Amino acid sequence: MFGYVRPLKDELKVREYDQFKACYCALCHTLKSRYGAFSRNILNFDFTFLTMLLWDGTDRPAYQCARCVASPLRKKTYCAPSPALDLCAGYSVILAWWKLRDSVKDETFFVSLGDRLLSLLLRRAYKKASRAYPAFDETVRSNLEALGRLESAGDASLDACADKFAAITEALAAPPGGEAGSADKARPLRQLLYHTGRYIYITDACDDLEDDLKKRRFNPVANRFGLTSGVVPEEDRTVLRTTLMHSCALIGAAYELLPKNYWAPVLSNIIYLGMPETCFRVLDGTWRKGKGAANKGMDRTI
Amino acid sequence: MNDPYSVLGVSPGATEEEIKKAYRELVRKYHPDNYHNNPLADLAQEKMKEINEAYDQVTKSRSGGGQSGSYNAGGGYAGPTGATGGSAEFTQVRAAINSGNLALAEQLLNASQSRNAEWHFLMGSLCYRKGWLDDARRYFQTAADMEPGNQEYLQALSFISRGGQPYNPYGYNYNAGTGGCSACDVCTAMLCVDACCQC
Repeated sequence: MFGYVRPLKDELKVREYDQFKACYCALCHTLKSRYGAFSRNILNFDFTFLTMLLWDGTDRPAYQCARCVASPLRKKTYCAPSPALDLCAGYSVILAWWKLRDSVKDETFFVSLGDRLLSLLLRRAYKKASRAYPAFDETVRSNLEALGRLESAGDASLDACADKFAAITEALAAPPGGEAGSADKARPLRQLLYHTGRYIYITDACDDLEDDLKKRRFNPVANRFGLTSGVVPEEDRTVLRTTLMHSCALIGAAYELLPKNYWAPVLSNIIYLGMPETCFRVLDGTWRKGKGAANKGMDRTI
Repeated sequence: MNDPYSVLGVSPGATEEEIKKAYRELVRKYHPDNYHNNPLADLAQEKMKEINEAYDQVTKSRSGGGQSGSYNAGGGYAGPTGATGGSAEFTQVRAAINSGNLALAEQLLNASQSRNAEWHFLMGSLCYRKGWLDDARRYFQTAADMEPGNQEYLQALSFISRGGQPYNPYGYNYNAGTGGCSACDVCTAMLCVDACCQC
């Protein structure tokens, strides 16, 4: 997806960082074994977060060791197959496919050649994933379509647009096959994922602001504040930061109502440190350029 | 009922000080202020009840039936959409928002003829419950501009301008760039101290 939902590495214990990497690698292995080698390209941090979130139980997972394309010499540790990994691999293929189709639809033929090729390569994987999770497939399709309509109409509010994307991430909470999970667990999980989606959508819009304006594409943040250049006035930036941090606060409040699983230390780092950090760095412009990297993590006060 | 020690997240061999510390941390986490007007407030309240019962049980069993000092959560907490204040015209809307029937509230508000301060405030409350935080802020702002003296609107606007009531286990003000400790932080801290205070 986008990679905004990641831990703040500086604050993880070395052991926790290794566990996080093992989960990331495991998702990659699952993508390859289920959906073919090409689907590894869609691997990202956001779905690693989802995998850890949907993980069942507090027991230590079985770890395995293997070489792979990314690390052909040294063996890397990864978690053994689990239902959460299967689910998240399938979901990420479906979402990646529809995101590609969406940009193919929006761009002219030549500009979209790259995305056309990518979606062609992902087609088989998508067919398989959509057969396995038809309900999620339909949710993604219909909400991205609605989002496209809102964006081309151009008069919807920032939240109205974010809502369509958040509806997709919220649907990730529903167990496949529709069997009713425990209601006590389902409600916080839905709220958590709704606000995660809202956070991703708005953060992405802030991140893409300059590009979108240059290419005269619709940008919900530019639309909300009437911006014509990539520089966001301090006043508007405060509004954006506050509203994003509010979503983070609601994610935290929902997370505390879920039963803790094996990944609790990493999840808590992502929610309380990683996501705010990303939001700050996107808004002050150090996210993309890696500016301020030298000082990263050096001036923290707890 | 669950084992009270596991509810508090301590071992049965923990000292009184450790138990008190764990209890205070849990109160800070599930405090009603963190779930202000949150659709999950009922779940947090249940959790709080469970924690209080566990703490009472542990302290009682240790002191041989002495007094307990748990925090009382039933302190008349009400969200900004509480039934207090407001005109008769919107009573039904307030009730719908409070009961979580957001579709009905939206329908009633859209059908309403008036576009006064209260209408904007209730639209804001509805947006907040839906998670549309930026829209909520704009409606609250309009309501407060139209009727500057109204405390209910001002409170809602100030709440949303602070970005909610963030609980953070890593401490307040972790991220550089949030600015210093504002008056609100002090307030929040005092509230928490108050909640944990046993006198």
